[in-house]
Amino acid sequence: MTENPKKPGPIAEMLAPVAGFGVTFANLFRPVVTEQYPFEKVPTKPRYHGRHQLNRYPDGLEKCIGCELCAWACPADAIYVEGGDNADLPEGAHVSPGERYGRVYQINYLRCIFCGLCIEACPTRALTMTNDYELAGPTREGMIFEKDDLLAPLREGMLAGPHPMVEGTEDLEYYRGEITGPTQAQVDWVRERRPDDASLDAAAKATVAAPDANGGTR
Amino acid sequence: MTTTTDSQTPVAVDPNLVTVTIDGIETAVPKGTLIIRAAEEIGIAIPRFCDHPLLKPVGACRQCLVDVAMPDREGNVRPMPKPQPSCAMEVSPGMVVHTQKTSAVAAKAQHGVMELLLINHPLDCPTCDKGGECPLQNQALSDGRATSRFTDVKRTFAKPLKISTQILLDRERCILCQRCTRFSKEIAGDQFIDLQKRGASQQIGRFDEDVLGFAPLGDATVGPAAEDESGRAFASYWSGNTVQICPVGALTSAAYRFRSRPFDLVSTEAVAEHDANGSAIRIDHRRGTVMRRLAGDDPVVNEEWISDKDRFAFHWQTAPDRLTHPLVRDRAEDGTRGELRTASWAEALEVAATALAAARDAGGVGVLPGGRLTIEDAYAYGKLARTALGTNDIDHRARPASAEEESFLGHAVAGHGIDVTFGDLEKAPAVLLVGFEPEEEGGIVFLRLRKGTQAGRTRVWSLAPFATRGLERLDGTLVPTAPGLESEVVDALATGTDEPSLAALREALGAQGALVLVGERLASVPGSLSAVLRLTAATGARLAWIPRRIGERAGVEMGTLPGLLPGGRPVSDAAARVDIAAAWDVTELPTAPGRDTDGILAALAARELRGVVVGGVELGDLTDPVAARAALEAADVVVSLEVRASEVTDLADVVLPVAPPAEKSGSYLNWEGRVRAFRQALESHALPDHRVLDELARHLGTDLGARDGNVLRKEIDQLGAWDGERVAAPATEAVAPAAVAPGTAVLASWHLQLDAGRGQDGEPFLAGTARKAVARLSAATAEAAGVADGGVLRVSTGAGRIELPAVVTDMPDHVVWLPTNSPGSAVRAALGVLPGAVVQITAGTVTTTEEA
Amino acid sequence: MTSLTPILTRSWGDETPWKLESYEKAGGYEGLKKALGQSQADLVQLVKDSGLRGRGGAGFPTGMKWGFLPAPDGGPRYLVVNADESEPGTCKDIPLMMADPHLLVEGVAITSYAIGSHHAFIYIRGEVVHVYRRLLKAVADAYAAGHLGKNIHGSGFDLDVTVHAGAGAYICGEETALLDSLEGRRGQPRLKPPFPAVAGLYARPTVVNNVESIASVPAIVRGGADWFTSMGTERSTGHGIFSLSGHVTRPGQYEAPLGITLRELLEMAGGIREGHELKFWTPGGSSTPIFTAEHLDVPLDYESVGAAGSMLGTRALQIFDETTSVVRAVSRWTDFYAHESCGKCTPCREGTYWLKQILHRLEHGKGEAGDIEKLVDICDNILGRAFCALGDGATSSITSAVQLFREEFEAGMTQPASELFPPERSALFDYTPRRSAGAAAGAVHA
Repeated sequence: MTENPKKPGPIAEMLAPVAGFGVTFANLFRPVVTEQYPFEKVPTKPRYHGRHQLNRYPDGLEKCIGCELCAWACPADAIYVEGGDNADLPEGAHVSPGERYGRVYQINYLRCIFCGLCIEACPTRALTMTNDYELAGPTREGMIFEKDDLLAPLREGMLAGPHPMVEGTEDLEYYRGEITGPTQAQVDWVRERRPDDASLDAAAKATVAAPDANGGTR
Repeated sequence: MTTTTDSQTPVAVDPNLVTVTIDGIETAVPKGTLIIRAAEEIGIAIPRFCDHPLLKPVGACRQCLVDVAMPDREGNVRPMPKPQPSCAMEVSPGMVVHTQKTSAVAAKAQHGVMELLLINHPLDCPTCDKGGECPLQNQALSDGRATSRFTDVKRTFAKPLKISTQILLDRERCILCQRCTRFSKEIAGDQFIDLQKRGASQQIGRFDEDVLGFAPLGDATVGPAAEDESGRAFASYWSGNTVQICPVGALTSAAYRFRSRPFDLVSTEAVAEHDANGSAIRIDHRRGTVMRRLAGDDPVVNEEWISDKDRFAFHWQTAPDRLTHPLVRDRAEDGTRGELRTASWAEALEVAATALAAARDAGGVGVLPGGRLTIEDAYAYGKLARTALGTNDIDHRARPASAEEESFLGHAVAGHGIDVTFGDLEKAPAVLLVGFEPEEEGGIVFLRLRKGTQAGRTRVWSLAPFATRGLERLDGTLVPTAPGLESEVVDALATGTDEPSLAALREALGAQGALVLVGERLASVPGSLSAVLRLTAATGARLAWIPRRIGERAGVEMGTLPGLLPGGRPVSDAAARVDIAAAWDVTELPTAPGRDTDGILAALAARELRGVVVGGVELGDLTDPVAARAALEAADVVVSLEVRASEVTDLADVVLPVAPPAEKSGSYLNWEGRVRAFRQALESHALPDHRVLDELARHLGTDLGARDGNVLRKEIDQLGAWDGERVAAPATEAVAPAAVAPGTAVLASWHLQLDAGRGQDGEPFLAGTARKAVARLSAATAEAAGVADGGVLRVSTGAGRIELPAVVTDMPDHVVWLPTNSPGSAVRAALGVLPGAVVQITAGTVTTTEEA
Repeated sequence: MTSLTPILTRSWGDETPWKLESYEKAGGYEGLKKALGQSQADLVQLVKDSGLRGRGGAGFPTGMKWGFLPAPDGGPRYLVVNADESEPGTCKDIPLMMADPHLLVEGVAITSYAIGSHHAFIYIRGEVVHVYRRLLKAVADAYAAGHLGKNIHGSGFDLDVTVHAGAGAYICGEETALLDSLEGRRGQPRLKPPFPAVAGLYARPTVVNNVESIASVPAIVRGGADWFTSMGTERSTGHGIFSLSGHVTRPGQYEAPLGITLRELLEMAGGIREGHELKFWTPGGSSTPIFTAEHLDVPLDYESVGAAGSMLGTRALQIFDETTSVVRAVSRWTDFYAHESCGKCTPCREGTYWLKQILHRLEHGKGEAGDIEKLVDICDNILGRAFCALGDGATSSITSAVQLFREEFEAGMTQPASELFPPERSALFDYTPRRSAGAAAGAVHA
């Protein structure tokens, strides 16, 4: 370009009035990107920040220990947690392994900005985010999700809590992933107290042996 | 590096000041100051764990190591070869200190110690109650390494150990700074926990054979830590302080365990309501609910300590029986009471005002405000009684009281301002306790006295039937005194005696700064308060009256006694009446002598008085609960201002709910006479007493001007104290002690700090640390009654009986002691008598069950 | 050439030397009688002049220690004899009290008289019951003979001696921990100041001396300061017991003037065991940095040993020949310190716990990269940071061993010490390998 770039050529000058349609015409022949939501639901990227989930250990105990670090990390003050003491539960039952569990867990989706800082803060990987983005509702109250709304459903073979921890283990074994499923003793415990528990049958089929108490190094 | 001090010109002129240089900043501090404090003064924070300003240095954690150089004899500043613990080393002239900020050696030493502290510390922070307000956490971040090099095996212990129902110990988290054991030993004197084992296995604990893994050796040589009569170790009234000063989460309280996080809490400075000290506290609340209370830092009152009662007993304010709405009871034509029903404020006030006006015109209305009021509330009660109700029949003393006591209060307490202070307690060379158990009835008073005795400054004598554990920990001297004989012994001291121990005591009381502390119990010993006044006059010792309840002194000062107007003005003094009448903008004040609590109740029963306004009064606290109940039943109208439903509620015609302390602002007046103002911690619709009284008065056609507490305070301040003639000193004769027939004994009794009081409701963990109720009597008395030590003793009167385990105690014969209001021992309700009365004692029949 | 100078050990070979009559026959208690005729100040001056330095390890001048006591104020003051000999390798006080307890009793009487104490305590290690009994008997005999008790030998001086057995804690050899233990408290060192000379036992002025120091006093009183200073070096005067143990032909206690060398001592002891050569040795017990064959000619006095980088300590010479693994030896010593740490201060309590685990790892050939640097740095974080000398002592063998034998520690990354140096080769007796189960476990259980 040796010419003055500001000065268009004669052809360009001629087409100038319709040049603005160039983009339009070009796109007429490209594939459509409009998503027909809600008629067609397109999967998100795998790491999309969607609705939260409170996870469980393979034996069905909750991972959340009610430490409130997610609430502390939350820049929007959308999370409210109250802790509880597993020792206060009857007959040695546990909601989560260890001493503390999350008694109250609420996320206010009217405030949540899906930044994921809560996920980073969670020391037990209890809180993760799903790809579920359909978060709308008719009432403000309904947008405050309680623990029941957030808890991950029991996977096949998990035993619904509260029930005792795997015999001979402490929270450390759970953190290390040494618990791979409910044990017979846990199933028996639940069967004795909640014979109608829906998760019993599947859990009874999926029982595993407790990790060897002396096997691991502490 | 060596420099000479020759070139420096001495700055310090005051010989008591020492000039030191810390991180290049020169500062002058008093001699004996620790380096760590001198650094604090100039804003240099040195990390520390074992150091606590109110405990003696121990130098155990080694976190506060700093580089120190000192001038030698020639004046050359020579660095010390090793870094020194700044928490244990006093400054010396010319000392040059380099903290972690300016010395690589100190910084390395601190990093090293921090790393070592963390190697065995569990990664509990997410579950730990201390997380977020933990000195270890904070200082690990500010003065520790970013990563740990520890790849080895951590020391583990079984998770929390209950060392009492309230206190839980997590030994893994403990960094063995010994703050708790030092507090227990140096401050509280309850050494139930101590270090045990050694090296990395060293741990805090009670001497529990199960924990230590020792074979049981029988009870001859070793055993659990010394237990009190409750049978519980670490049953200390002060145990909560160890939780607060623990620099990690090793000690936690069952009441607060996992309840919240520091970052959800809103803190409000407040004043504790459970005893007459008005200790500074901090209320931590979340979403309108109090989660915990901590000791505030008030050097002139409670320093940094509070009793467990002040710390843990707060659920009473939100108990299920809390009154939230005004209630009105309709009566049938014949006067029989119907059911209480919820009413609007307007209706309830109208009903109350109408009925009170009728009762006032028919005979009169008495006022029983109760002993837990703020200054503002007490003043409003007094003003209501003397203006709207036109009576002097007002008495806040919801306990055994006497005319002698009223004269005593009017003469020696009211209008005296701040006289004896907490500071005086720890400096007094001699302290005589009469009718007063400092630990059970005085709270922080006990710790202050103990501070004085521990420092070797103070000696304590007590006129009591036996030496309590509290007195033993004060290294106190018991002057064995059977109940009722206090006046005799005090008079013997006042007039001089040949008895050597009493003569020594009398001489000690002549020393500058000697104190006589009397408790509210003396009201039921005729002549004793008169004798105490003679004693202080004779010896020059100063006098302090230390009641149990926070509102007693406010009542005395604000004129909720029949014979006293605000500021110590005697009702009988016309000038005083004119004074107050002018201030209140009324033409005149009632002149007829007022009745005291017992008098009001008797007059109600006799239908001389027709109505009564009752504040926070428990009938069981009164001299004769049965008669009190009958008196209220006989009244035409009972208006009750209460926080929670009580026995009075059952008899009330109108119940007006009022705010508990956390839901109002106001000012308590502690026993010193110090104003203890506090702000409202929780948002609430509940009204303070003075506002309710203001509304009630308005419905009675009078303006109390008590709507706004601040306005009220201004009015009170403007009134000031009375400068005229005071109430004359009482000169009541002592009553000859009753004869003790075989099978009977004289009753001694006082309240335990933790007992069946309603202020401790809803606190099972706290109740577990209370002392168990026992009956005490001498070996000879027990033998005569046919009871062995530990057996069941039955104490009975015509009104009823109490059965408790007997504990043989070194005390005068023919005396039996019972706790006044503990589980299984409600003396006034069950026996209907006061200390000094003669009761029957026999062996009991039932075996007692363990009191939870 | 320095030779044996049996003074404290003179009677050890005799028949029943522990009996009072044997002791008196050999001139025992003459020193006491002589001392009682002198003024107290003269006695203190005599000991000052003799240059006697504390034999308990630190080498603080004994006379100066006595001189630190404040002027008498009418209240009690105490002499406490530290007989809690527990340092690995140290074995001099126990045999001394076993063989010749009256020497100590006489020393106690003279010292008490010199410092104006009317009640002396001997705090003896509780494990050595036979010595405890012998000492009790000696004290009882001395009372009966009028060497102790009221108005001793008509001098008007009263003295009570209490023999107290400790309960088995190394830390109670630290003087303030000893005082706490003696008072019936938990044996943990006290904050200084106040020093024991100002506020020691029961918060009264107290002198705490080692057994050997006190036992040296009667001879000084009898022989005079000049006699005493004629032995030893200029600043380390007198004689001392050298305890040789380990791979020597004739282990035992050799009393000699300070300043003797290991070479000379080894000659007396018949040398290193047959067919082996010296590898390393401790000059003053396990708390002192180790020496090697290079240091054979270092004069064993306070100054020379200090200049060579170690400490004379308690003259406990533990001799190790070339069959010994340094890592293993240091690891054992560290086990000892981890076990004996009182727990009061962080560096010692946590540091020894950590050192022990790293050393066990190295000993078993499972060392990790950086372990040696970590070891040295942890030692640096303990040395001079701990509350008392126990923590310092725990580090000195480690740092010196890493300096001198680093390659052995490096070998510990891959090869267990038991392979490099089979234990049966260094054992002096039939060796039965202990089961290795749990050898690596460092967990402390509740």
